[in-house]
Amino acid sequence: MAAVTSPTRSPSARSTSPDPAWSRWANGHRKWLFAAPAMLFVAVLIVIPLTWTIYLSLTDAEGSVRAESSFIGFKNYVDVLSDTDRFWPAVLRTVAFTGIALLFEVVLGMAIALLLWRPFRGQRWVRVAILMPLVATPVAVGMMWRLIFDPNIGMANQVLGWVGIGPQPWLAGRSTALPTTMFIDIWQWTPMVALILLAGLTSLSDEPQEAARIDGASAWQRFRHVTLPLMMPTVIVAILLRGIDALKTFDILYATKGRGGGSFHEVETLNVYAYGLSFDYNEYGVSSAVLIIFFLIIIGLMWALTARRKKEANR
Amino acid sequence: MLRRSVIGASLAMAVAMGLAACGSSGSSGGSGDSGSGSKTLRVTLANHVWTENIKAALGDFEKQTGLKVEVTQLGESQLSDQYNVKLNAGASDIDVMMYRPLQEGKLFAKNGYLADLSKDVKANKDWDFSDFQAGPVGTTTYKGKVVGVPIITEREVLYYRKDLLAKAGLTAPPKTLDELKTAAAAVKAADPGVAGFVARTDKSAAVTQFSSFLYSFGGDFDKNGKATVNSDAAKQAYAFYGGLLKDSGPANVSTDMSWPEAMAIFTQGKAAFYTEADSLYKNATDPAKSKVADTVGFAPFPAGPAGSKPYNIPSWALGINANSKNQANAWKFIEWATSKEQTLAQQKAGVPSARTSVWANPEGTSTYPKDLADAIAASAKGGVAHDRPLVVKVSQVREVVGQPIVEAITGKDPAASADTANQAFQKFLDDEQK
Amino acid sequence: MKSPTAYRAFRVVALAVVVVSLLAPLLWMVAASFKTNVDIYDQSKALVFSPTLENYKKVLRQANYVQFIGNSLWVAFAATVLSLILGVPAAYSMSRFNMKKSALVVLMARVIPGVSLLVPWYYVFSNLRMVGGFTVLILSHMFVSLPLIVYIMMGFFDGLPLELEEAALVDGLTHIGAFRRVTLPLSAPGIATAGILSFIFSWNNFMFALVLSGADTKTLPVAIFDFVGYASIDWGGLMAAATVVTLPIMLIALFVQKYVVSGLTAGATKG
Repeated sequence: MAAVTSPTRSPSARSTSPDPAWSRWANGHRKWLFAAPAMLFVAVLIVIPLTWTIYLSLTDAEGSVRAESSFIGFKNYVDVLSDTDRFWPAVLRTVAFTGIALLFEVVLGMAIALLLWRPFRGQRWVRVAILMPLVATPVAVGMMWRLIFDPNIGMANQVLGWVGIGPQPWLAGRSTALPTTMFIDIWQWTPMVALILLAGLTSLSDEPQEAARIDGASAWQRFRHVTLPLMMPTVIVAILLRGIDALKTFDILYATKGRGGGSFHEVETLNVYAYGLSFDYNEYGVSSAVLIIFFLIIIGLMWALTARRKKEANR
Repeated sequence: MLRRSVIGASLAMAVAMGLAACGSSGSSGGSGDSGSGSKTLRVTLANHVWTENIKAALGDFEKQTGLKVEVTQLGESQLSDQYNVKLNAGASDIDVMMYRPLQEGKLFAKNGYLADLSKDVKANKDWDFSDFQAGPVGTTTYKGKVVGVPIITEREVLYYRKDLLAKAGLTAPPKTLDELKTAAAAVKAADPGVAGFVARTDKSAAVTQFSSFLYSFGGDFDKNGKATVNSDAAKQAYAFYGGLLKDSGPANVSTDMSWPEAMAIFTQGKAAFYTEADSLYKNATDPAKSKVADTVGFAPFPAGPAGSKPYNIPSWALGINANSKNQANAWKFIEWATSKEQTLAQQKAGVPSARTSVWANPEGTSTYPKDLADAIAASAKGGVAHDRPLVVKVSQVREVVGQPIVEAITGKDPAASADTANQAFQKFLDDEQK
Repeated sequence: MKSPTAYRAFRVVALAVVVVSLLAPLLWMVAASFKTNVDIYDQSKALVFSPTLENYKKVLRQANYVQFIGNSLWVAFAATVLSLILGVPAAYSMSRFNMKKSALVVLMARVIPGVSLLVPWYYVFSNLRMVGGFTVLILSHMFVSLPLIVYIMMGFFDGLPLELEEAALVDGLTHIGAFRRVTLPLSAPGIATAGILSFIFSWNNFMFALVLSGADTKTLPVAIFDFVGYASIDWGGLMAAATVVTLPIMLIALFVQKYVVSGLTAGATKG
C-alpha cells in the first residue's frame, strides 16, 4: 500500500528484489510461476492414482494390490456393464438419489430463497439457522438421524405416534431406506441451494418485476415468467455444485447403513459399491473399472450441465 | 514392468512435490519416523472390552520393557478398512494388529500380511502355547504356520427372560429348538407387545448366529469343497430361523439388524428369547445398559435334530504385521497381553478367553452368572470351530449364504433361494480351489 | 398473495416451519447428549429428563477427544494455510490470464471419486516414508481445500477491478510487487472467505481421514465411530461426540456468517 501512495519514488529505489534479473524473469513468467505449483500439486495427486486405477481396471487384481495379477484387457468393464445384480441397481440408485434429492433441494431451496428475498426484521437469525445443517459434520449428521430414525427408540416414530400414524422402519426398511437417506441429504443441503439461489435473487434488478407488476401479473405469473427465466443460470450453478457432491455422497450412507448399504444393498450407490469392492471384497480390478465408469459418468453430467448453463447465459 | 516405471516416475514427481509443498507439515507432524526396532510400538486394536482392559494395564508393560506403546483404536469395520489400505500398501507403521481370524485371517495370511510366529510361540515354556484351545489355534494357523494368537472366544447361547417365561407358564428354558418355537409362540400369545424371539436379521451379520441352527439341524455350509447350503438340513434350518423371526419376532421386523439392534430390543424388554454370542452378555446384565438386567437368564443353545451344536470360535486374535520393523518387540507385547495372568484378568472382566487353564480355574468364571458359565461349558464341548464359511472371500460369501435367511424372514420360500445361494457359493469354492 | 398483511403472516409461519425443521434435529442431538443411555431408550423421557454430564466426561476424558480436537484443528489449519499459499496466486493467474483449461485441472480434484485415490496414495507415501505423521493426512485434505480455494478466489479476482493494479504499475511497481502490495491486501475478504470454507470442509472430511489417519493423527469425524463399539452402541456418548464435532464449526459459522455465505454462494451469480 505504501508504494501506491508514494508516486515520487524513482525506479531504482523501488525495486524490492535483490536480483533484478531474477525479478525480471519472475515477472515475465508470473503466469505460470503462480499457477504451476497448485496445478502440479493436484496433477500429481490425481495422475498417479488415475493411471494406477486405469491400470488395475485392466487386470484381475484381487486380494492385494501387490499380489500377482494378469492383464485381462477390458474384461472387467464388460463384466461390470453386464452386471444387473449390483452394478446397474447401484447406477439407478445413484441417479435416483441425486435426481430426487436435487429436485427437492431446488424446489424447497427456491421457496426458502423467495421467503428470504425481501428484507425483514430478524432475517439475520433466520439465515444463521439455515446455515447450521450445512456446516454440520456429515458423519455426525448421519449418526444423529440414525438415532432419530431408530424404529424402536427414535423420535421420528414418536412424533408419528402423536398424530396417529404407526411406526415406520425408516432406515431399517428395505424400501424406505433409500428415501430416508434422501431425506437426510435434503435436510442438510437444501440450505445451501437456498443460499445460492438467494444470492442470485438479490443480484436481479427490480425493473422486470416492476414492469410485470404494472402489467397486472399475479405473484405466480411474475415468478413463472419473469423471475424463473432470469434465475435459470443460477439454478444450473446450484445443481452443478450440489450435484457433483450428491453423486459422490458417502459419509451419511456409511454412517447410517455401514459398508455395502444394507442387507439388500438398499442404499448402495456407485461410490458405496466401489468402496465395498475395494475395502470389503478386495476386488481391486473390478472396483477400478467401476470407479473409472463412475468418473466418466460424473464428467459427462458436468459437461452437459456446463453446456446448458452457457446456453442459458447466452440467451 | 510398465507398472514399475509408471510408479517410479510418479515417485520422483511426488518427492519433488513433497519437498516443495509439505516439508513444513511433515516435520511438525511429530513422530514422523516409523522407527526400525524402535522403542515405540504401534498397536492397532478394535473397540472392545478387551481393548479397554489392556489399555488400563499397559503401564505395567511399558515399565517392564521400557517400550512406549501407541494404541490406535477403531471400530470393527473402520479397522478392517484401515488394514486393507495400509497392509495393502505394504505399510510398516503397524506392528501389532488385532484381527478377526475367521473374517480376515485367511485373506491376510494368503496375502502375506501376517508374520510367521511359529518359532515365537514355542520359545517360552511358561507362556505355554499348548494351553490355548485347539479349535481357535487351528483358525490362527495358515498352511502349518502360526500367524496369530487367539485372545477372545465366542459361543452362541440362548439369552432369555425368566419373568416372561413364568408369565407364559413355563418353568425352564427350552432344551430343544422345537420347545423354543412353542415357548416363543406362547410368550407372544400372552402379550402381543412382546416378541417371543429376536435375533440378528441382517443377511451378512446373521450368518454367524444362524450357523448354530444350521449345525444343530445337521447341516454345514460346505463339505469337501462342495457347497451344502441347499441340503435338506440347511433348508430346514433356514426355514426355522426365518420362520421363528417371522412368526414370533418383533412386529415389522427389519432385515437390517446386527447385534446392536437385536440386543437393544432384548434389553428394552421387548423380546423373551434371543440367540447371540456369549461374549456380549454384559450388555444384557449391566443395569446401565439393560432394563431387564435382573431377569436375564442364560441357557445352552437348544438342541436340534442333530443335537445342540453351537459354534465355538475365536472372534479376535493378535498378529504381527509382516512388514513391521519392530517384530521382536511386537512379540513381547503379544506374549505379555496373552499371558496367563492377563488372560485371567480379562476373562474375569467379561472377555471369554481361549486358554484352557483359565477356564479350568474356578476364578476364571467366578464373575459370570452361574447359568451362563454352565451354558458356556456345555457349548465348548460340542462346539463347531467355525461360524461362517471358511473361505478367503468371506464378505461376499456371507452375503450369498445369508440371502435365504432374509428371504425366510420376509415370508418368501427359502428353499428356492437356498438353491440359488448354493450355486453362487459353489462358484466361490471352485475359484478358490484353482 | 392478495394482501400484504396476509403474505406477511404466511411468511412468518412458513419461516418458522423452516427454522424449526432445520434446527429441531440438531437440538434433539444435543438433548440426547445430556441423557443416560437408559433415558434415551425410554420414550416417556423424550423431553423431560434429568440432564447428566457423564457423556461429555466420557468423550473428553476417556475417549481422548481433547487430543482429537487438537488433531482436527491442526490438520484443518495446516491444510488451509498451505492451500492458500498455493491456491491464491494460482487463482490470480487463472483469473487474470483467463486460464480456463488450467483451472479445470485443479477443479478436477473436486470431481474425482475419493475411493480411487486412497490405496495409491498410501502406497506411494508409505514408500516415501511419509506415513505415520500428519503429512499424508494434510496432503489429502489439501486435495479438498485447494480446488475450493481456487474456485472461490478466481471468482473474487474476476470481480476485482484492474484499475488499482494498473495504477500501481504506473507507480513503478513490478507485476509481482503490485500483486503483493495492492491485490493481496484488497483480497483479504476473499481470502477470509476461502480460508474459512476450506477449514470447514477439511474439519468435516471423513473418507480420507478414515483410512489415512493413525494413532496420533485421528481426527474427530473418525473418532465418532469410537462410540459404535463391539460391545454396544453408546448412544449418549455418540451424541455427545457428534455435538463436540459439530459445535465448533457451528460457532465459526455463527460468528463469520457473512464469509461462509459468500463462500458457499461463490460463482452463483456470474454469467
